Amino acid sequence: MDTLVKLSFYFFAATSVALGAASVCYIAYAIGRVRVRRATLATSAGTTVTSSSADFAPGNVSFGQWGSLLTWFGAFFAFGAVLFRTIAAERLPTANMYEFSLTFVLAITIMYIIFERMYGIRQLGAIVMPIAFGMTLYIWSLPADMREITPLIPALQARPIMTAHVSAAIFAYATFAVSFAAAVFYLVKKRWGIRWLPSLEVLDDVAFRAVGIGFPLLSLVLILGSVWAHDAWGVYWSWDPKETAALFTWLVYGVYLHTRTLRGWRGTRSAVILLFGFAAVIFTYYGNYFFGGLHAYGGV
Amino acid sequence: MAQLTATTGSPSRSPVEVVIDRIWRFFCSVRMAVFEIALLALLTLIGTLRGSDVPQWIADAWPFTQPLVDRWYAWDVFRSPLFASLLAIIAIAIAVCTINRAPGIWQTISTPRIRTSPGYIDRAEVNARFTASMSAADLEAGLRSELKSRRYRFMTEQVGDQIHFYADKNRWAKLGTYPFHLALILILVGGIVGSMFGFRDVEFAVAEGETRAVGHGTDLSVELVRFTDSYIQTGDAQEYRSDVIIYDGGTKVSEGPITVNHPISAGVATFYQASFGISVDMVIKDATGAELYNQPLEVGFFNLRENPDAPAGLIRLPAQGVQVAVVAPDTNRANRPDLDTLQLANGQVWVQVSPLDANAGGDTMETAVLDQGQPQDVAGLNLLFERESRFTVLQVAYNPGIPIFIIASVMLVGGLAVTFYFPLRRIRGIIQDSADGGTLMMTPLAKRDWGGKREFFALTRDAGERLGAAPDVKRPDDEGNWDHHEADDDTR
Repeated sequence: MDTLVKLSFYFFAATSVALGAASVCYIAYAIGRVRVRRATLATSAGTTVTSSSADFAPGNVSFGQWGSLLTWFGAFFAFGAVLFRTIAAERLPTANMYEFSLTFVLAITIMYIIFERMYGIRQLGAIVMPIAFGMTLYIWSLPADMREITPLIPALQARPIMTAHVSAAIFAYATFAVSFAAAVFYLVKKRWGIRWLPSLEVLDDVAFRAVGIGFPLLSLVLILGSVWAHDAWGVYWSWDPKETAALFTWLVYGVYLHTRTLRGWRGTRSAVILLFGFAAVIFTYYGNYFFGGLHAYGGV
Repeated sequence: MAQLTATTGSPSRSPVEVVIDRIWRFFCSVRMAVFEIALLALLTLIGTLRGSDVPQWIADAWPFTQPLVDRWYAWDVFRSPLFASLLAIIAIAIAVCTINRAPGIWQTISTPRIRTSPGYIDRAEVNARFTASMSAADLEAGLRSELKSRRYRFMTEQVGDQIHFYADKNRWAKLGTYPFHLALILILVGGIVGSMFGFRDVEFAVAEGETRAVGHGTDLSVELVRFTDSYIQTGDAQEYRSDVIIYDGGTKVSEGPITVNHPISAGVATFYQASFGISVDMVIKDATGAELYNQPLEVGFFNLRENPDAPAGLIRLPAQGVQVAVVAPDTNRANRPDLDTLQLANGQVWVQVSPLDANAGGDTMETAVLDQGQPQDVAGLNLLFERESRFTVLQVAYNPGIPIFIIASVMLVGGLAVTFYFPLRRIRGIIQDSADGGTLMMTPLAKRDWGGKREFFALTRDAGERLGAAPDVKRPDDEGNWDHHEADDDTR
């Protein structure tokens, strides 16, 4: 078992390196290049005048291609890390923040790859991959004893529903990360009109499609959490801070979905709501750090 | 001779009708829905943060906010009238909105408008035009085949020499909004039903060997045979297990272990493992030797100032007008030893006899330390501490709202999945004969729907191959942006 745990950790380390490199490539691709043009003119008086102007141009396509390749590597290594730990623990690794974050890194790379393939655009990687890479840095910062596999505490001894509940949460958060990236680029494109970014309509559609996947998943998280709470604690809903934080996130995305039907709200305002939505996701994700209550386990 | 009459404005309506209309519009307004959900989100955030240190961080950073923060901590948002009222308004809005939208949605599904106009198609942001050396009828047949292969419904209407058509896919998904929104109301209804007609006892303590009645109008009782708790090497809990027998009217109806996540149901009630503790078996007799009390006493629900960390229990003897507080040894090494003024050893309990309902310590009649198995006279009572045992704390609940909640859950997730994963696709167009054969023009109803447009482009490509005619496709002005990236990125 120790060998598998170590192997899982080495794969995680490789994931971290791959996603860090992918982030650099995607950022270089999305930011583009700055071309400085100089012109020198000779005047009739015999003097010369030099003027310069900066021109922004699309990033080198090869940066984007390298970003994609490295993301695939990252996904492969993250899959290996999760797989080996799953075999070692005989359950999906979702019992503490180390395991939860590890599986989240896998989910976020998978969801990003799906959207990259679906829309044929790579610029979103400049935001999504740094989030995934940041998550690996967070994992590095966790206490080393979390890497050990320990038996589940009684409250978590419900493997099928725990797997379903936590997996749904991880994939919901991952798709919300994609929608966040699309919203950021939407606002950037709208403000500065950078022409090599995807069109506003595409960015709006990516964000909506991502929320369209994530919102039902988050609903499933709340439902499965309620069913689990009923079995474990005898009550569906306890107004526990972690529960209500997830409800808050769900409501923010509910606001987003409704605003899209309003004239004048689709676009910029919807994108701003998505920024709030992802802030709510982060708030819920790290809630264990500052919430008490029934969810105050997870090893933080 | 015809007589013309003119009316000015709409027929006058009664004030009641005007009021009803305004209320109806208020609840139907999407803008109001957004405001209501946003307000609910804000209240939820306030209530969530109340369970954290965040408000105190704010007060620490800006001391003048301390009074506000104190009120924040004191306000139970989720049980406040404001929160309940907002939920009620949202529930009504959902119901009204759902009813209001029903006719339009049903018309889209059952009898959509087929007729369109060349001007509408020409002005559309996206359209496609085919000119083929075949008749309009053949064009229609070819397009119908193509759309059928893509699971579209195809409807036509002859308008003069033109064939107008309407095609759609996933039309039933439009109904997905109904189960989803109805589910939200049902969840609230389930919660109300559960709280009104069910019961929940969160501290149902039963000592080993004891049988305790559930009450709440049932004949159920629970006997705790044994409680066991096991731990792993790190000291973390591995399992809490209560082996119980459940009786209904004295007849055994269920038996088995209750562990966390694995409750047992019997009759209407369900029994959940909640916590556990220590109990002390006490026997109390009066001066004549008559037995006043003989059963396990659960300790841990009270504490006394003699050692606030030690588990304590209370025996009330109303006939004698006294109460007996019992304190067991504090075995938790993490507790503060300086607070322990009793210094009890294992096999000892501390007792305090006082008048019934007396304030702790105020009117104490007598205190004593009892050694296990040795009776002792205290304040006219003979007290015996027989032994220490365990008790379990179960949660007993009956929730008639469960079936409603389960139905609502399926409707909620199913409705959302149908709505988002099966988007409605619609196309309108006109087919007509021309001098060289036939022409076909069509447009998707996909305003601000990039996915719908993309599917339309794929359709025009395949339809062109089927009809043997290259389509003339009008694309969005900014589509060059995506084409650029699709062209130089081979990521598809």
